[in-house]
Amino acid sequence: MRYPYDICRYNQFMDLEALLLSLKLAIWTLVLILPFGIWVAHSLQGMGKNRSWIEASLALPLVLPPTVLGYYLLVGLGGRSIFGIPLVFSFTGILIASLIVNLPFAIQPIQRAFEAINPEIREAAQVSGLSKWQTFRLIELPLAWRGITSAAVLTFAHTLGEFGVILMVGGAIPGETKTVSISIYDKVQSFDTSGAGVLSLILLGTSLIAITLSYGVFGVDSSKAKKWRG
Amino acid sequence: MLKAKLFQISPNPLQLNIECMPGELHALVGPSGSGKTTALRTIAGLSNAETGKIECDGKLWFEARDINGITTSLSPAERSCGFLFQQYALFPHLTALENVCIPLYNSMHDLAQRKILAGQWLDRMGIGELANRMPSQLSGGQQQRVALARALARSPKILLLDEPFSAIDAPTRQGLYKTLADLRKDLNIPILLVTHDLREADLLADRITVIDKGVGLQTAPPQVLFERPRNSRVAELVGISNKFEGVFTAGKLSWNGCQRIFNVVDKGKIPPNTPVAWVIPADGISLHENSSSTSIEAHVEQISALGQIAVIQLRTVEGKHAITWEASAAEVRRLSLEAGKNTSVEIDGDKIHIMPLRPINDPRRFTN
Repeated sequence: MRYPYDICRYNQFMDLEALLLSLKLAIWTLVLILPFGIWVAHSLQGMGKNRSWIEASLALPLVLPPTVLGYYLLVGLGGRSIFGIPLVFSFTGILIASLIVNLPFAIQPIQRAFEAINPEIREAAQVSGLSKWQTFRLIELPLAWRGITSAAVLTFAHTLGEFGVILMVGGAIPGETKTVSISIYDKVQSFDTSGAGVLSLILLGTSLIAITLSYGVFGVDSSKAKKWRG
Repeated sequence: MLKAKLFQISPNPLQLNIECMPGELHALVGPSGSGKTTALRTIAGLSNAETGKIECDGKLWFEARDINGITTSLSPAERSCGFLFQQYALFPHLTALENVCIPLYNSMHDLAQRKILAGQWLDRMGIGELANRMPSQLSGGQQQRVALARALARSPKILLLDEPFSAIDAPTRQGLYKTLADLRKDLNIPILLVTHDLREADLLADRITVIDKGVGLQTAPPQVLFERPRNSRVAELVGISNKFEGVFTAGKLSWNGCQRIFNVVDKGKIPPNTPVAWVIPADGISLHENSSSTSIEAHVEQISALGQIAVIQLRTVEGKHAITWEASAAEVRRLSLEAGKNTSVEIDGDKIHIMPLRPINDPRRFTN
């Protein structure tokens, strides 16, 4: 009689572990990719002929099948990997995979936000005596706020739900690489539909809250938001 | 004092010499795409000329020569320009007060001090009570006043105005003209105004430079420009409608297609039998009911009444030249002018201004 109870506790523990791992992965991905995304998106503004090649490379994860991307990452991160140590089947490995997969989600909304700024606004900042860094910090960044929050929400939600590439690179090691999406898959495979249902509901709720925040709280028009007092 | 000598071939051609004294308002006038804004942006450092030199208040801002390329080029931030954009270019995420605080960011570290000074500038522009409004909550005229306060907040060495009144309705524009006139007296810095509106330039500017295809054609006070354009293109650009062609020989001007010969001042610059263009200002033309030995017979083609003013289109019987004449409605009645009838036109030879057919730097200017 104790057996089913243990199984139930074990499953519950595993669910929580997968959930926490997914959250950890999403937060780390966000922390690392957002500054990089802002820098790349801003740098792309001043680029000339090579820009389309760079943009195409950065958008590649959008169109590449996850298994193909996963395969190349498996090869690149396996063995000694480009970092000198094997990174497959580890949290670091799936974090690197997550960063690469999320590049278009992090960069494109921010890039569009920077592009939407009237060039005369930047020129007005320059002739007002601001340096390039000051123009970026005081003018461009607040004006691109909406794009940055969109990028953050998209990246966060996409990381929580990422399945194919993570499975290829990390497998399903509990507590190390088994994220909530992989856990749902496992539960469905083992006919634990109620467990899969609970996890799916949690993912659905999290995604819904993130998107609502994106459109609501963070989506306030930057021209009406009061963020900085100079 | 501003001294700018600019030359470039691409992307927009530019060949311009501008000098503007402190306290002077110098207008750059020309049709759309003539290079007015390019010149202003080059002075502000937002783009660079291929060769040239820009000095302001004794400081070298830009220098580039054919051989050495650009040797000096200060950034826009270092040039100390107040720049007023056509579409205001206010920072949309900042209030009016915060917009004016931005130019003070590097010179005043205390935020409270910045706000006090910015507030004073807004008061001076007559919009102190709108300090906490966002740009989207301001009218066009109010936005332009905030932009002007922002342009002047860091005490620039020069004020550059890029068609600042073009997007504003007429009553608001009058108010801004007055503000600008008041500021001129107090600021004592060179002010460059880009406009395509000749009336505006005539009203505000001490001197006007006419630009066409990037080339500065003539710089002169408005009165001189309208009475003595340097060439026929300038006459065309400043809207002189009574422009004709003739042949000039030693003080005598013969009008093409007419027997009439005018005695005009000979400055000894034009070779004999030279084809020339000539203009006559409005006050050099008069109409009479009766003909005289010096008058020219003309046919009244059309009378367009515009309120108290009537524009009369005439065509000379001899030579078929079109003459435009403006008169009051009362004058039209006094002369019994009617479309389809003939009248006598008197042209005052002393007011005739003779010009080369082509620009002054064109070697073919005295040939057809």
